[in-house]
Amino acid sequence: MSRGRPQGTIFVTLAAVLVVAVVLAVALGTLSLSPGDVLRALAGRGDDVTISVVRSLRLPRVALAALVGAALAASGAALQGVLRNALAEPYLLGVSGGAAVGAVLTVAAGLAAVLVPIGAFGGAIVAILIALGVARVAGGRADPRVLLMAGVVVGAFANAVIMVVLSNAPPNILRNATWWMMGSAAGAEWPLVRWLAIYVAVGLAWLLARARELDVLALGEEPAAALGVRVERATRTIYVLAALLAAATVAAAGLVGFVGLVVPHVGRALGLRGHRALLAGSALLGASLLVLADLVARIARPPGELPLGAVTALVGVPFFLSRLRAAS
Amino acid sequence: MSFLRSLSVLLPVVLFACARGEETDRARGESAAPTIVDDFGDTVALAPARRIASLNPTTTELLFTIGAGDRVVGRTTYDEWPAAARAVPDLGGGIRPNVEAVLGARPDLVILYASNDNRDAARALRTAGVRTLGLKLDRVADLRRAATILGPLVEDTERALAAADSVEATIARVRASVRALPRPRVLWYLWDNPLLVLGNGSYQSELLDAAGGANLYADRAEPAAQVALEDVLRRDPEVILLDSGRVAPLRASPRWAGTAAVRGGRLLPVNDALLNRPGVTMGMATAELARALHPGWSGP
Repeated sequence: MSRGRPQGTIFVTLAAVLVVAVVLAVALGTLSLSPGDVLRALAGRGDDVTISVVRSLRLPRVALAALVGAALAASGAALQGVLRNALAEPYLLGVSGGAAVGAVLTVAAGLAAVLVPIGAFGGAIVAILIALGVARVAGGRADPRVLLMAGVVVGAFANAVIMVVLSNAPPNILRNATWWMMGSAAGAEWPLVRWLAIYVAVGLAWLLARARELDVLALGEEPAAALGVRVERATRTIYVLAALLAAATVAAAGLVGFVGLVVPHVGRALGLRGHRALLAGSALLGASLLVLADLVARIARPPGELPLGAVTALVGVPFFLSRLRAAS
Repeated sequence: MSFLRSLSVLLPVVLFACARGEETDRARGESAAPTIVDDFGDTVALAPARRIASLNPTTTELLFTIGAGDRVVGRTTYDEWPAAARAVPDLGGGIRPNVEAVLGARPDLVILYASNDNRDAARALRTAGVRTLGLKLDRVADLRRAATILGPLVEDTERALAAADSVEATIARVRASVRALPRPRVLWYLWDNPLLVLGNGSYQSELLDAAGGANLYADRAEPAAQVALEDVLRRDPEVILLDSGRVAPLRASPRWAGTAAVRGGRLLPVNDALLNRPGVTMGMATAELARALHPGWSGP
C-alpha cells in the first residue's frame, strides 16, 4: 500500500500539526492572555471575561474552523477522484453559487440573520439538483465531464442572479452579503458547531466507506465497470455526498475558497496513497489550515478581522508552492 | 476573652451578611429598574451603566455632550467628536465588532447599531453576561429616543433630554426662519458609480427640508436612491450638494453641463463632519445647510 513514506508517519504528523494549530488558536487572540489564564479559563476558573473569551468565543470558533476545513478538503478530494479532474472542487460545481444566491436572497428579503444559513443550504441543494438535472439532460448519464460542465453553468447562472439582486441593494444589505461571501467563522456558537459536527462526521464516514469505489473509479469508467462497480450510480452518490458536505460548510461559515481545491493536492504531494488515506489526511490537513487561517484572520489587524476566504489562500498558497517544490 | 471569641465568631457572619445585603441590593437595583425593548427586540434594564462601550458615533457624542464621557470605555474608529472621545480605546468599525476586543474593554453595557449584521455580536455579548442595547438611529426623532434611553443609564435624564431639546429647537428655529424664502430644487449627490442620491429615508433629507431645500428625490423612500442620470437631468436640480472632492469633476463634466445647478454655479460642498450622523450636531448642520442654500440668509 505505502510507497515512499509510511502512511502511519504521515498521519501522526498531520494529527500533531492539527493539535498544535488548535492549541495556538485557543491561546492567541485579540486579547493577550497568559497560558495560565487560558488553562484556568478552560477549567472554568478565573474572571468572567477571560472565561467567556476562551470558552464561548475562541473554542467554538476553532471547532467551527476545523470542521469547515475538514469537510471542504474531504469534499474536494472526493470530487477530484470521482470526476477524475484535478481542478474539481466543491465551489466549481455550483454549490457556492447556489448557496450564495440563497444567502443573498435571504439577506435582501430582510429576513432574520439566523435564516441566512438555512437559505444558503437550501440554495446549495437546489444548485446540486439543477446540475444533476442538466447533466442528465445533456449526457443521459453521470458523465464526469458533463457533470463538471453542468456545475460550472449553474454557478455562472447563480452569479448573474446575485449581481442582479445586489446591483440595486442598499449599502447595509450589500455589506451583509459581501461579508457572507468572503467567509467568516466569527458567528461560531456551540449549537451551530454541534449541528455541523454531526453532519460532517456522518458525511465523512460515508465518504470513507466509499473510498474503495473511488479508487476503482479513478482507474477510468471502463476498468471500473469491468471490476464490478456500478459506475453511474457510484458517481452520482459520491458527487451528491461531497456537494452536501460543502453545502453545510457554506451555511456555517460562508464561502471559503481554496481549501477544497488545493488541500487534496497537498495530501497527494505528502505521499498519501489511496482514497481512504487521502480523504482522512485531507480532512486533517484542511482542519489545520482553516484553524490557522482563522487565527491569522483574528489577530492580523486588531481590532478588525480579515475575511477568512482570503486568508485561507494567503496562508495556503506559499505552503502549497513549497510542497510542490519538495515533491518535484 | 469571651467577648473576643464571640466577636471572632460573629464578625465573619456580620461581614457575610453585609456582603449579601449589598449583593441583593444590587440585584434589586437591576430588577427594579424599568426595562425597554431595544431595536433588536431584546429586553434591556435601564439600571445605571458605569462602563459603556458605545459602538455608534451618535451615542458616543451624545454621551460626551451630556457629561457622561467618563463612563465611555470603548468607541468606534469613526467616533472623533468631541476631541475627548479620541482618548477612549478604539474598538473597530462598529459593524460586526470583534467581540473579544469589546469584552477586553470590560464594559457593563455595549451600545450597538441595530443592523442585522450586528445581531451575532449582540448575542455573543449577552451570552458572556454583558448587557447590550441595540439602537437603530436613522431619523431626527431618534435622537430624542436615544436620549430618553441613555438618560437613566447614565443617571442624568434631565441633561440627556435637554440636549435633545436644544437640537430640536435649533432645527425648528432654522425651519421658521427660511419659511418665507424660495425653496430651490436640491440634488444631494452621494456616490458616482452607481449614481446614488439622497432619498427621503434618512435624517439628512429631514434636515434639508428644515433648511428650506426641496429634495429632488423626496419621492424615493430609501436613504440613498439609485437613479439614472437622464432622470436627474429631466428633474433639473437648481442646487447640487456634494462632497468637496467631487465639485471640480462635476463642474467640468459635459454630462452635467445642462443642469441649472451647474449653469448657475451652485455646486455646494457639504460639511461631512457635521452631516454624517444623526447626532447632537444636527442643529448646527441644519443652520449650515440653510446658509448654503439661501445666500444672504441672516441666521435663525
